Amino acid sequence: MMASPFAGMLQTLSRQRGVTAALVVSEQDGIVIDGNLHIGLAEDRVAALAASLYRKARLSARAAGMGAVSFMQLEAPVGRICAVGSGELVLVVVAKTAVNVGMVRVEMLRAISELAVIARGAER
Amino acid sequence: MNTTVVESWIEAPLRQFVDDAGVHLALLLHPSGHVLAQHGFTRSVDVMSACALAAGIHATSVALGRLVDDRPFGGLHHAGRVRQIFIAEARSPRGAYIFLTVFGHESSLGLVRLYFDELVAGLAAAAPPDGPAPAPALAEHFERDLNRNLAVLFGRA
Repeated sequence: MMASPFAGMLQTLSRQRGVTAALVVSEQDGIVIDGNLHIGLAEDRVAALAASLYRKARLSARAAGMGAVSFMQLEAPVGRICAVGSGELVLVVVAKTAVNVGMVRVEMLRAISELAVIARGAER
Repeated sequence: MNTTVVESWIEAPLRQFVDDAGVHLALLLHPSGHVLAQHGFTRSVDVMSACALAAGIHATSVALGRLVDDRPFGGLHHAGRVRQIFIAEARSPRGAYIFLTVFGHESSLGLVRLYFDELVAGLAAAAPPDGPAPAPALAEHFERDLNRNLAVLFGRA
């Protein structure tokens, strides 16, 4: 089977200590396009809810005149969800509480520019 | 927007689905086209039309799925410019039903599919334990039964 164009980027993110899932999700549909995750995580569920959350954050930021959302982070008692978007795509990372958020943020922002290039290439 | 049901055990799972998924319209019907519950419709004639069309679409997609994949398709999604439709079979201890929902940009296919699975689980948990419901007659009583259900849903019973 051919690897998706997102596979390398997702693998790099998943190698970060404490990251349990990295997913590329369609913001509009909330459907997983590609993912790299640990067993036991409900991929579809996380993707649908995280994409919805990211879209609402993006719309809220725009409504408040704050401009585009660059990085979204949700903190919960036993983990974190981070998301960044580019066009129609959202990159979602699920991680343990103890993860180095700064490192994950840097990797995600690096990945998102790559994501934009891949998405533009796929459109052609 | 109101939710009305012919059988009371359907109401709580359906209301939960509508709240969680943020859909505009929802319809639960028997595969024959008999309506069992609705949310968001204001006219009985629209429910009647939607039921007939949903039953037809479901029957077609089941046949098409068997033809190309040896089994019925699990669900059907159509994305319009503003609104989207999702149709799927909802199995419960009372039998198999057809579920149709219409949603807009404030929801998504992922959310609808996620909460549809929860709706099916909710219906299974809420169904009365007295076995499958009798299938509606397709011959001379069909119209009478359909009109009775529509009257229950729209307060004319």
